[in-house]
Amino acid sequence: MRIVIIGNGVAGMEAARAVRNREPSWEITLISEESDHFFSRTALMWVFSGQMSHRDIEPLERDAYQRLGFRRVRARATGIDIVSRRVSLAGGHEPIAYDRLLIASGSRPRPGPWPGSDARGVGHFVTLQDLDWYEREVHGGASRGGGPPRPRAHADPSAGDSPYRFREVAAEHRGQLARQPAVIGGGLIGIEAVEVAVAAGLRPHFFIREEWFWPIALDRREAQWISDRMAQHGVEVHLEHDVEALETDADGNVSAVRTNQGRYESDCVVVGIGVTPNTGWLADTAIELDERGGIAVDEGLQTSAPDVFAAGDCASVRWFDGTRRPEQLWYTARDQGRVAGGRLLGGVPRYERGTWYNSAKLMDIEYTTAGLVNWTLDRESDWFFEETGKVRSTTRVVVQDDHVVGFNMLGRRWDHTVLIRWIEERRSLDWVLAHLNDAAFDTELVPPLQVLRA
Amino acid sequence: MDQQGQDGLLTTYREGWRNRSVVGLAISALLVSFYVVLYWEHKVQQHFGVAPLTAISEAAGLRNRWYLYGFLYSIAMIMGGIYYLKRHGNSRYNRFRITVNVAIQIALGFTLPFIMPLFGGQELYFSYFWPLKYDYLYPQTLVDLPLYFALYTVVGSLLAAPVLAVLYGKRWYCSWVCGCGGLANTFGDPWRHLTSKSTKSWRFEQVSIHLVLAIAIATTFLIGLDWWIGGDHPAFHRIVAGDHWQDWSIKSFYGFAVGAILAGVIGVGLYPVFGPRVWCRNFCPMAAVLGLVQKLGRYRIKVKPDMCISCGNCSTYCEMGIDVRSYAQTNESFTRASCVGCGMCAHMCPRGVLKLESVTRKRRSTP
Repeated sequence: MRIVIIGNGVAGMEAARAVRNREPSWEITLISEESDHFFSRTALMWVFSGQMSHRDIEPLERDAYQRLGFRRVRARATGIDIVSRRVSLAGGHEPIAYDRLLIASGSRPRPGPWPGSDARGVGHFVTLQDLDWYEREVHGGASRGGGPPRPRAHADPSAGDSPYRFREVAAEHRGQLARQPAVIGGGLIGIEAVEVAVAAGLRPHFFIREEWFWPIALDRREAQWISDRMAQHGVEVHLEHDVEALETDADGNVSAVRTNQGRYESDCVVVGIGVTPNTGWLADTAIELDERGGIAVDEGLQTSAPDVFAAGDCASVRWFDGTRRPEQLWYTARDQGRVAGGRLLGGVPRYERGTWYNSAKLMDIEYTTAGLVNWTLDRESDWFFEETGKVRSTTRVVVQDDHVVGFNMLGRRWDHTVLIRWIEERRSLDWVLAHLNDAAFDTELVPPLQVLRA
Repeated sequence: MDQQGQDGLLTTYREGWRNRSVVGLAISALLVSFYVVLYWEHKVQQHFGVAPLTAISEAAGLRNRWYLYGFLYSIAMIMGGIYYLKRHGNSRYNRFRITVNVAIQIALGFTLPFIMPLFGGQELYFSYFWPLKYDYLYPQTLVDLPLYFALYTVVGSLLAAPVLAVLYGKRWYCSWVCGCGGLANTFGDPWRHLTSKSTKSWRFEQVSIHLVLAIAIATTFLIGLDWWIGGDHPAFHRIVAGDHWQDWSIKSFYGFAVGAILAGVIGVGLYPVFGPRVWCRNFCPMAAVLGLVQKLGRYRIKVKPDMCISCGNCSTYCEMGIDVRSYAQTNESFTRASCVGCGMCAHMCPRGVLKLESVTRKRRSTP
C-alpha cells in the first residue's frame, strides 16, 4: 500500500504516525515544500526573539523519518490526477503515485489588499520562510540557535506566489536593519509579531482596524487590559485605523503605512490579517473546494475524490453550529490527523468536534476560553469580574436563559475540560460561581480567585 | 525590572555568552581553573610557590579557602538569584522557591558553619545529607560529631529526606534546600536551555547516576566495615581508607572522582557548555535516591488534556533534559525520576498545560 501525505505539519505527521503504528511495511511518503522536519508553527515567534532555537520547536528527534521509515520529498505539490492517482511536483521531480492520499497542506497568510502590499520590506509571519525574512529585517539573521537545515532545498524559480518562497529583504538593500516596524492586523499573529519586535528593543506600530484588539475573542474591557500592557512595553497601538496604502521609497523599499488617520513612517511591515486554506494549487483538479477555498470533506474527512482525504487547516469541516469551514487550530489539526490516519488505514472513524475551547498568551497575560463567547446569542447576559491585587485577572461567564454557555478568562489558568463539562451539564451561574475554583489550574502558591458577588 | 518579569528570556539564543560563544567558553574555562586551584591548591603551591586562594582568604579574614569558597558561592547565588528573578520572577512559585533556596545557602551553607567554630563548635552543614555529603555517615565522623547533629544527620539522611520525597517529590530538597541545586538555578540559570534533551543523554543519565549511587553506597559500606575491622587488617584499611590523595584508597578516590571532579570541576565548571544541572542530573547520588523514591510518591506533573501546541518551551527550559513536550502532547501526566520540580516547564507553558502537584493517588482527578 502506498500512502502519500502532502504536508508534514501536525495533521500530516499525526496521520503518518498513526498509519506507521499499525502498518510497519506500508510505503509512506511525506511531501513538504516548507521544511525537512515537522515543527511547531505556533512557536515561530520564540525562534525569532531567541527564546527557542529552531531545533527546539521540532517535537521529534531529527532521525524520526529514518526511524519511522517515512520517505521525505522536499518539493511543492502542483496538482493531483485523481484518475491515474498521481501527485505532480514542481522543480522537475517525478510525479508520485498513491493508493491513498492525504492533503494536509495547511494555511497561507492572506496578502494585504492595499497598494504597495508586495513592496520589499512587507511580509508575513506564518511560514519558516516568513520567519527567515522577518529575522533578516530586524535581527540581520538567525539567532545562535541557528536556522532550519537545508532551508532552500525546495527553491524553485517558478514558485511565484508560494507561501514558502523567500522574500527580498529591505534591510539588506538599505544596508541597515529595520528600526521602525509596523504590524497590521489585530489578531494573534499580529500581537506575536509585535511582542517579538519589542523584545528586539523596538517600538512597533500596531494597526488594528476594529474598535479594540481581537474583537472576535475579547470584549472591550478585556481588550483594554491587553492594549494597556502593550503600551507599557512601548507598542504604539492604533485602534480603528484602516490601512489605505503602503508607501515605498525610490528603491522600492517600504517607507510608510498610510491609514485613514494618518501617515506613519515604517521600514518593515508585517501583515497579519488572517490565513486562508493553502489550496490554490488544487484549482485545476477535480477535488471540490468550498467558497472559502477549504477542501470540502465529509464527517470522515473524505474529499470528493476516491481515496483522497484532507485534514488540518486546509479542510472545511463541520462546526458545532452546523456550518462548514476550516478550523485553524493546532489541536484540531492534530485530532483531524488522527482521524485521517484511521481513514488511510482503511477504517471509518469520524471527526467530531465538541464544545469550542482555546487558549493563548497575549504578551504575558494568559487567556482561556470555552463555549460560546462573543456570539451575541438571544437572551444572553454576561457576568464579569475583574480581580486586582496579588493576581490580576478577569473572569467572564456568558449565560443564556438560566445556564452558562461560555467562559472567557484572562490572567489565570483554567482547566477547560471542567469548564466544558459545566457548559454541557447546563449549570446555573450561581452553581458555577460557587464551584469556580474546581476548574482552577494555577500553579502552586497562587492564591485562589475570590469572587466578590454584588 | 521588566513588567513581565521576563527580561532576557525572550532573547536567550541571541546572547553569545549564553550559547557557547568564545565568551561563554572562556567563562567555563575560568570556572574550571577556579575549581582546579580550589581542590589542588597544594599542587599549585608546590609548582608556583603561592597558594592564591588561601592568601586571599586570610587577607579577607575568612580563615581558610573553604570559607572563601562558601562566601563566593553565596555571592554567586545572590547575584544569580537576582538575575533569575528578572527572567522568571513573574511566577510566585519561582519567587518563593529561589528566595528560600538562597536564604538557606546564606544561613546554613555559609553563616552558621562560619560562626560555629567561633563559639568552640565544629563547622556543621545542616543543609546537606548523605549520600551527597558522603562523609556524614562514616562511623568515625558520626562518633566525632556532637550527638544532636549525629542524630540529625542519620534521621535526616535515612528517614526524613526519603519521606519528604514521598510526600512532595525530590524538589523539597533539590530545588528548595540543596546548595548545588541552588547554584545551578541561580548562577547557572543563564545556561539552563543548554541541557541536552536527546534520548541518548537520557540513557547516559540513567546509567551514570545509578552507577555513582552504587559506588557511594559501596564506599560507605566499606568504610563502615573498615571502622570495625580495619584495625586488625592494615592492608584492608590502607585500600579502603588511606587518607591522602596520593595513596589512592577507595575513600580518597571517591572524594577525588565524585566530590571534586564530578561535583565541582565538571558539575559547575561546565555550566556554560552543557547546562547547569550536569552534576544533579548525571552524577548526584542523593538525586538518584530521591528520584527512585519520587517515582513511588505523590509528586507528578499534571497535564491538562488536549491543550498542548507542541511549542517546546517546556522541554527547552527543562534544566534536567526531560522532554516534557512528549508527555504534554500525548495528554500524559507523569513523574520522572530526574525531575527536580523547579517548576519552569509549568511557568514557561504559554497555554497553561502543565501543573506540578503533590496529591495522593486517590485524590487525583485525572489518571
